[in-house]
Amino acid sequence: MKVSQAVIAGPAVMERPAPVRARAPLGLRLRRAAPRFAGPIFVGVVIALLYGPILVLAAFSFNNSIVFSLPWAGFTTKWYSAALADANLRAALTNSLVVAAIVAPVSVVLGTLAAFPITRFRFKLRGAVAMLVAAPLVVPWLVIAVSGQLYFNLLGVSLSWLTVLLMQIVVTFPLVTVLVAARLARFDRIQEEAAVDLGASQLQVLRHVLLPHLTPALAASFILAFSWSFNNFEISYFVSGFDQLFPVWIYSTLRHAANLPVVNAIATLVSAAEVVLVYLAWLFFTWRAGARTAREKADALLEVVR
Amino acid sequence: MVEAVLSRRRRWQARAARRMRPFGFLLGPVGVILALFVAPLVLLVIMSFRYNSLYGTQTGFTLANFRGIFTDPAYRTVARDTLIMATTAMVLQLAIAFPLAYFIAFKARRWELPVLLLLVLVDELNPIVRIYAWRMLLGRDGLINDALQWIGLTSRPLDWLLFSKFSVILVLSMSWVNYTTLPMYASMKAINPIVFETATDLGAGWFTRWRRILVPLAAPGIFVAILLVYVPMFTDFATPALVGGPSAYMLGNQVADLMLEIGDWGAGAALSLLLLAATTLIAVVAYFLSRLNTLD
Repeated sequence: MKVSQAVIAGPAVMERPAPVRARAPLGLRLRRAAPRFAGPIFVGVVIALLYGPILVLAAFSFNNSIVFSLPWAGFTTKWYSAALADANLRAALTNSLVVAAIVAPVSVVLGTLAAFPITRFRFKLRGAVAMLVAAPLVVPWLVIAVSGQLYFNLLGVSLSWLTVLLMQIVVTFPLVTVLVAARLARFDRIQEEAAVDLGASQLQVLRHVLLPHLTPALAASFILAFSWSFNNFEISYFVSGFDQLFPVWIYSTLRHAANLPVVNAIATLVSAAEVVLVYLAWLFFTWRAGARTAREKADALLEVVR
Repeated sequence: MVEAVLSRRRRWQARAARRMRPFGFLLGPVGVILALFVAPLVLLVIMSFRYNSLYGTQTGFTLANFRGIFTDPAYRTVARDTLIMATTAMVLQLAIAFPLAYFIAFKARRWELPVLLLLVLVDELNPIVRIYAWRMLLGRDGLINDALQWIGLTSRPLDWLLFSKFSVILVLSMSWVNYTTLPMYASMKAINPIVFETATDLGAGWFTRWRRILVPLAAPGIFVAILLVYVPMFTDFATPALVGGPSAYMLGNQVADLMLEIGDWGAGAALSLLLLAATTLIAVVAYFLSRLNTLD
């Protein structure tokens, strides 16, 4: 017993000299560490390139100077009051908001109506209809805008925010169709049959089975349609006539290069509102969908993107 | 007898109703598309074959618009510049987006979601505002020139930073790189990381792993990215108009000027139609490439 214990303990109690490790040369250490830091640095640089300009713009919107450069001339909020007092700008913002507030719900309804037959019914023209509905997503907005301008001219409709509204609906609702159709395709029809077996009417099936399943896609569609419409420049530029819309207002103000600090202020305000609103919407979303893990949240996010 | 006829009739009615059901749904959406998308496009085609004079658009068929576009050397220069700028921006974006997507998909771990969210969120910002922010940075008195002079890299402000092909390529790339990244990320996310470990165990280095596994499996995402991004870049006119200046004039500017400044609608329609043809070709090629399974 004692002998075996001694044998086992033996080598362990023997004092070993502490290993003398020479420090690796700096170049080698850097090369070893590089893979760990290269990735995060790269991502950081890309994110900085994406957000940096807007952040700098936001900072300079508080600068008490008409030129956009250093040195810093002092803090002011006068550009914000000037922006909010600008009647043209207010009209442009109002128009854009009104158009987006109409385009979003109309697109959701039209898009969902189109998604149902494409995913659920078999009929002869299904393929053709699916292609037709997807076409406005593939044709460049510039071409759609030009053709819209010619079309309204031929019909004798004078260009205004109403023509912008019409053209934006036709380019936006196919996006909704894609999102809702993708969600519908993942619906298990057995649930629906079960509801019918339990005596649900068609309307009840729609209300209690289908709609809850579609809600995330519908909400995402609404948000995307709203922001597509509000941010849309190309189509608005061609068919808005004398009516101002927010992106067109910025564009034409820049071309005439006046009032730049005012543009900084309003651009900052609108960007902040957009980011905050979309972020809140996303939080609400993941909360409603019950997504807890990061994986589920990423999936919820990708669902919107794809 | 009567009942049989009735029931047959009822069955026929039910079948007709079922057959008509999709069209009840489609009446609205397809009507909107026909009235506001197809009809204008048809008109665009018709207009492109109409001659435009000082007195307005004439009736009658002519190829003059197309002949004008194909024979005028100015158009050729603009078309070449557009191709160069859009393609360079696309290549640049792929070079940025591919490692970025790889990092987010496999290495970012707890940063995966925040980075993804940032990439999606930046798209909600107004594109004109984003272009404008770059213009402010790149200008002669802009922050970048200030910084370069302060560091001492240049003594005079660099003029080529703004109103050049460089600025257009840079701003186009930064406007779209998030769109380029997301489909690649999605296709990389579908790869089981075990295949990389297996390859490593079999002795493959990182380059072989990327070339033989990552690139072929991510290829569909790459082509989807090209499909999503190349076409709108090719027809863009806001970016070159705001940061391009005369040396970086693109086909989109040409169309906008023809339609809104010069008022030559026939030529504008013809050029739009050619742009549509070119972008359709790009889209079709990218689509079929995305469908190819390159891992055979």
